Amino acid sequence: MTVRGVLKTLSPLFACIGLLCVWQIASLRLDTESFPTALESIKAIPSILGDKGSLLNILDSIRRMTIGLVLAVMFAIPLGLLMGRIKAVAAFFNPLMMIIYPVPKAALMPIIMLWMGVGDVSKILVIFLGVSLPIIYHAFQGSKAVEEKMLWSGAAMGMSAPMRMLRIVLPAALPEILTGCRTGLVLALITMITSEMIARQSGAGNILFNSLDMAQYDTVFAMILIIGAMGIIFDAAFEKLRLSLVRWSQPRDDMPLSFT
Amino acid sequence: MNQERINSVLLGITPIVLFIALWQSLISFGFAPTSLLPPPGAVFGKLAKDFFNGDFLHDIAATLIRLFAGFGIAVVVGVFIGLAAAVSPAVNAVVKPLVRVLAPIPKIALYPALLLILGFDHASKITLVTADALFPILLSTYYGASMVEQKLIWSAMAAGTPRWQILFKVVLPAAMPSILTGCRIGLVISCIVVFLAEMITSTDGLGHMLVQAARTFQTVDMFVPLIMISMLGLILNSLLHWLRSYLLRGFPEV
Repeated sequence: MTVRGVLKTLSPLFACIGLLCVWQIASLRLDTESFPTALESIKAIPSILGDKGSLLNILDSIRRMTIGLVLAVMFAIPLGLLMGRIKAVAAFFNPLMMIIYPVPKAALMPIIMLWMGVGDVSKILVIFLGVSLPIIYHAFQGSKAVEEKMLWSGAAMGMSAPMRMLRIVLPAALPEILTGCRTGLVLALITMITSEMIARQSGAGNILFNSLDMAQYDTVFAMILIIGAMGIIFDAAFEKLRLSLVRWSQPRDDMPLSFT
Repeated sequence: MNQERINSVLLGITPIVLFIALWQSLISFGFAPTSLLPPPGAVFGKLAKDFFNGDFLHDIAATLIRLFAGFGIAVVVGVFIGLAAAVSPAVNAVVKPLVRVLAPIPKIALYPALLLILGFDHASKITLVTADALFPILLSTYYGASMVEQKLIWSAMAAGTPRWQILFKVVLPAAMPSILTGCRIGLVISCIVVFLAEMITSTDGLGHMLVQAARTFQTVDMFVPLIMISMLGLILNSLLHWLRSYLLRGFPEV
């Protein structure tokens, strides 16, 4: 690898270090109790991850997030593909989607909690709701853009409609769907944190906001670092997966698009 | 064509009507007690009544101020940085890795830090909205601006346009469709984030109204802010749509 290539792959790392330096300098300049330096916050990370209770809490959060995400993917992709191919389905669901899009899904948490309690079910449901919309939208856009000729040739060769959906529309829309999934992944993380912050029972969001309430500022900032790192790691891992799935398609954007 | 349009509108209204009917029937047939799920009539009646209530209008105003301030800053900063990154390789080399690192971070996790640094007032909420809306706008500006056809720029240069004027007269208008798409995403995000921030800590705003109602088990009042934010989102979205069709009046349908 050339020096340029090495520099390019390492550049996100430099960006991280640069940001931490800015933080360090800013907190030294401001010098208030409630804004610990970057070094202090990093030092607090091992004590959180080393503590069995909080580690279990964080893993619990990730488990809920994964379940919600998988359910959403299984539900949203077929719906989005159908919406893209059948006009009536799109006309049926589009206005409903426009109405529920600007509603923050985590804000439904207090209401869902009334019905289903503070347990896993309501949190997973909220994550599911939050993640579904962008995936539906992208699957819809992707399947709408499938070239009509390919479908005709498929039909001419005697493929049934469900087979065409599976063998032609799904692969053709896959790059777009995966873009939606990537957005969904970031969104799942956000919804997870907010739902735990509202339900205040367990999870990473709970640790974050409890330590804020108890004025343990180094824990607050350490948790922010942990959650941020989770976001970056998940995103990078998903990018790897995406590249292996759709190697044939040139990615349109090589930078992550984050939605809330 | 017209008949087709009417049909699709009718088809679109169906799920919303069905949804409200299902909501009403859950109560009518006694599946859900009204204390947990208030009837739709009560919720919409309360919403209509609240419009004559000063506190409610004050909450809406507080939310809108934060939303517009945050979104406005995000548009200005996002478009500026996006253009700079598309035009100058040096800026690009700095911005790209930073965006790679910052974009996938769930910004809401930064909110406690913002609270501690900026305090509980407007500033922390506006910053959060800006941080969340910034990246979609920045990225779409960047892609829009880097896709501008080279020939357009060459022709402008051949016609003797100064370099910085090319930026405003050629690159910015050519990137406009993409920028507006980014703004649309950013706007929806702003609606969501401002509500969440107000739910976490606030003394006014729609999010605060919801939390307040949840604490006192006023279920009717819990639905009112949710419907309100959905309506705000729809109104703002159609305003942006109108602005888009005005700004892009020369463009072929995008």
